[in-house]
Amino acid sequence: MADQDSHNTPTSTETRVAAVLGRFDSAGALKAAAEKVRDEGYRKWDSHSPFPIHGMERAMGIRPTILPLLVFGAGMTGAIVAMLLQWWTNAVDYPFLISGKPFFSIPANIPVAFELIILFSALTAFGGALALNRLPQFVHPVFESDEFRRATSDGFFISIEADDPRFDEAKTVAFLESIGAVVDVCRVPVREPGIPKAIPWALTFVVCLAFIPPLGVAWYRASVKRQPRIHPLHDMAFQPKYKAQSENDRFADHRAMRPPVPGTIAQGQLELDAAFFQGKDDTGEYVTDSPVAATEQRMLRGRQRFNIYCAPCHGFSGGLPEGTAGGDPKDFDGMVTIRASARAMLGDGTWTPPRALHSKYVQDQPDGKLFETITAGVNNQGIQTMPGYSKQISVEDRWAIILYVRALGLSQNPPEADVPESIRTADSN
Amino acid sequence: MQDSPSATPKSEAETLGDMAPGGIKIAAAVGGSALILAILLAFFSEEGLRHFFYSYLVNYAFYLSISLGALSFVALQHATRAGWSVTIRRLNEILASNLPLLAILFIPLAISLFFPASTPYVWANAEVAEHSPLVQHKEVWLNVPFFLVRAAIYLAVWIWMARFFYTRSVRQDATGDPKLTLQMEQFSGPLILVFAITLTFASFDWLMSIEPEWFSSIYGVYYYSGATVGGLAAVILAAIATQRAGHATETITTEHYHDMGKLLFGFVVFWGYIAFSQYMLIWYANIPEETIWYMARQTPAWLVFSLVLLIGHLFVPFLGMISREVKRRKVLLGFWCVWLLLFHWIDMVYLVMPSFASDRFPVGLMDVCLLVGLGGLYVAGVLRAARGVALVPAKDPRLHEALAFENL
Repeated sequence: MADQDSHNTPTSTETRVAAVLGRFDSAGALKAAAEKVRDEGYRKWDSHSPFPIHGMERAMGIRPTILPLLVFGAGMTGAIVAMLLQWWTNAVDYPFLISGKPFFSIPANIPVAFELIILFSALTAFGGALALNRLPQFVHPVFESDEFRRATSDGFFISIEADDPRFDEAKTVAFLESIGAVVDVCRVPVREPGIPKAIPWALTFVVCLAFIPPLGVAWYRASVKRQPRIHPLHDMAFQPKYKAQSENDRFADHRAMRPPVPGTIAQGQLELDAAFFQGKDDTGEYVTDSPVAATEQRMLRGRQRFNIYCAPCHGFSGGLPEGTAGGDPKDFDGMVTIRASARAMLGDGTWTPPRALHSKYVQDQPDGKLFETITAGVNNQGIQTMPGYSKQISVEDRWAIILYVRALGLSQNPPEADVPESIRTADSN
Repeated sequence: MQDSPSATPKSEAETLGDMAPGGIKIAAAVGGSALILAILLAFFSEEGLRHFFYSYLVNYAFYLSISLGALSFVALQHATRAGWSVTIRRLNEILASNLPLLAILFIPLAISLFFPASTPYVWANAEVAEHSPLVQHKEVWLNVPFFLVRAAIYLAVWIWMARFFYTRSVRQDATGDPKLTLQMEQFSGPLILVFAITLTFASFDWLMSIEPEWFSSIYGVYYYSGATVGGLAAVILAAIATQRAGHATETITTEHYHDMGKLLFGFVVFWGYIAFSQYMLIWYANIPEETIWYMARQTPAWLVFSLVLLIGHLFVPFLGMISREVKRRKVLLGFWCVWLLLFHWIDMVYLVMPSFASDRFPVGLMDVCLLVGLGGLYVAGVLRAARGVALVPAKDPRLHEALAFENL
């Protein structure tokens, strides 16, 4: 039966003693025995029980783990990495101003720091616990013992490994018996030291296999294909319908989108009143009088809409007082103007400050012209300096805003007759 | 466990015995005289009455939080069917059963509502309400009769809840009936829910409403996090004092101190988490109606104090308590409990006093008098509750788990 070539095969009959296993009847007995094994000076040994036993670590003389220190270090590293990451990305590499906050500010960076502390600590605790316990361990000499199966039900075991410097088969067995154990000797097949030859080959094969997907991706990225790409999941990718702007040969003009039948008007789009809908009279001139009545309710509505849509740029008061154009941008109270002007001064972007709404230039315009400005915006020599607001503000509200703009004009340049006698100054102009 | 001791340790069945009456008298005398001094200060110093009410609120919130923290601990132990904590649960029950005294101590705050110029509850002042549309808008909730009704409901719920656990636990000392434990476990879940709601609204009413225009929905959780820190620290100190006096020396072990220390450490971090959650949202949105609260705490008079709170309530104890050894040594753990109780008090000052005066730092003799005054009455109440009752629930069905309990 002596087979010279089968050193690595599990069928080898040559065995050696790898460990001695002692079984005890109760958790208490196991704990007492562990204390004796500890005092005897053994180093490479372990205890096995169906459930965790309080105080076992002390009985076995296991020293406190350094894992907490590793986790603490990892947590601190996480905090530092998070701060550096945010400092580099937000303050150095790509400074981006968000709601006026500093580029690097501690409060904004704490959530990311917190998460990285947790992430680094958790991964270190998980990996560190495995590494410090030398896990995963797929094979152990005690598995050779049938007796050991009872470790998951009613057996309490101590195993002493043959690698222990104090190990001596006869003495160790005698020692375990002397402290009340039922002893079993675990023999494992002798094989050459080192890794079995199949494992490097298998690993090489797996690594080669692992190259296939990235190579495939690279091939498809670099080459041109005439076929549509593969759709593993169709979902609603293909639908039997015509999309906007697509072709349809069924119609003479080949357009899938159909124009309305000539002479028809969709509901709510009959805009006959040119003065109301375009701000122009029948001859195409701007109307000078508002087509809506100036009621108090409409004035208030105009103020409310103005403060929502106009004030961000023009300011709540309508802009700089007359004659101070080109002054400090902080004199505007429109938030957008303040910030945009400040950035423009730093050479970042361009900004045309808006017209003061109570200026003579604006107030001399007819109501119809103001209506058109709100509707279409302002285009100054090809540059759109003000966007149109027809989508945001309804026609009726535009007229209400114009009423309020007139009121703003009056508030800055009131007719002398409207100013009370007591507060008139000599040079009222 | 097979190897748990079967014999009941002697000191389990011990009560405070002869020590209690003397202690009650001393504590009540010290507290009473400090309170009288505070009342004298209230009437014979400038703005004294207003300072008295604000400072009273600080200290009331402080001592209330200790009992509420202990009460939530008891409910939590039953909800989780915890075995480890049985030996220190009775101390929590005793602290929680001090709530009737706190109900009586609420009366000065109720009286303050009828001194519009001095009350911390400025919404009760018609002149303030007149100039604030927001306060007028909140009148449906913030009005004197409804405020008092709600306060009565909160206090009644807590007192009932504390008695529910206390009486059953004490009854078990005599009968050893395990059904009592099952009953407490069944009720603890719903009671935690009721507790959370009442605590949240009580902190809104009693603390947040002193700035009636300001609001923060996390405020209740903030107060709870501080209350748990205060409650755990007080219970650990009570356990140390009990053992110094020679009681429960065998039943409360290093392992229990270690676990209480871990919980305390956890809630210190939780407090920081909640405090920052409130701060960051307000800082980021930067809306004046919200930032005004922090502005009052960042004036030259208060900025240093606010930073001291942040560092002393979070960073210092975090580093100081993180080690396992600290939590297993009574002297060190006791030091951190005193430290955290102090900073929990500072936290209460931080919540209330900037509303009293944001342009100066007003904390002084008045606040110390009230801290000692209410503290004396509180300790007397605790000793009275502890009189004649065993300090460890000796017949709890899970006692052996607590005795055999060991940390890894």
